Amino acid sequence: MRQRGKLMARNYNLEILAVIAIAALCILFLYTSITTKNAGFVGTDDIAAAKISGSSGNSSEQIQPLIPQWVPPSAEIESTLFGLQAAIGGMLIGGVFGYWIGQKKKV
Amino acid sequence: MHIMEGFLSPQWCIIWWIIALPCVIFGIYRLKQITSADREALPLLGVTGGFIFLLSSLKVPTPFGSTTHPTGTGLSAICFGPWVTSIVCIIVLLFQALFLAHGGLSTLGANTVSMGIIGPLVGYTIYRLLKNTSVGIYTTVFLVTAFADLSTYVVTSFQLALGAVHPVTGDVVSSFIWYLGVFALTQIPIAIAEGIVLALIFKYIIQLKPDILIRLKIFSEETINAAKREADGP
Repeated sequence: MRQRGKLMARNYNLEILAVIAIAALCILFLYTSITTKNAGFVGTDDIAAAKISGSSGNSSEQIQPLIPQWVPPSAEIESTLFGLQAAIGGMLIGGVFGYWIGQKKKV
Repeated sequence: MHIMEGFLSPQWCIIWWIIALPCVIFGIYRLKQITSADREALPLLGVTGGFIFLLSSLKVPTPFGSTTHPTGTGLSAICFGPWVTSIVCIIVLLFQALFLAHGGLSTLGANTVSMGIIGPLVGYTIYRLLKNTSVGIYTTVFLVTAFADLSTYVVTSFQLALGAVHPVTGDVVSSFIWYLGVFALTQIPIAIAEGIVLALIFKYIIQLKPDILIRLKIFSEETINAAKREADGP
């Protein structure tokens, strides 16, 4: 009961703010996806490159890489690799927080 | 948005590489210093670096037709400074250049300068200015992370205005304004959200591992204890 009372008294202002911020961002994301023509979950550079190329009067094909680079053969593979990057980050964060929680419980 | 392979002229690619490399090398030296003095700094580096990996992979479409992503560099800038942050950023950027064709090897120097050096440097300056003032710890973290994110895109706009192979307008100033409108303006809501989320993460670090923040002299013991009390409630 005392534990529950302590939990209730905790300050959750930042958690509430974070939920509002993420929700607002999701709404913005959905609104943009619906209202912007051809907007989709595609690479940052792809659209930005097209926009810059269009404004400078050059097509994307005219801008040649200085150093040849491997390009993911499909959007699915690209998304998988982005997912892999996020997973590496998530594993690091989860691993360390788990380690810290374990350390705290031992004390 | 990372600058794509082939977008910068070769001389500007070399200039940005020349600026980036010494900072990264100094970052490796600083990291060795920090971790040899306290091995417990490594898990904290894991968390702050993990957020750079995680947040820079989240892509959000913008109303202007481009897409963007948070950078996540603010936490690392507060805990380890901009030079150590540049090491994590160059690893993330290299991963994206090699496997995702986002950014490129020739523009890696420029992207490291914007995301890994100047963005965190702006954040770190704000942190140093606010560290010993009456501004609350979470407000400080919010401001540092939001401005580290936003300034990255301002620098990217500047780099493109200076050295783009195919400039969008005739002069540097109007190009810079054009790039700011496309990339930096759209970043504002994301920077605000990133600031709030990372302030929350900092609260959890304070609750779980306040001693490492005190030992690394990130904030004073009194400030950390006050923030912990504030987070725990009455």
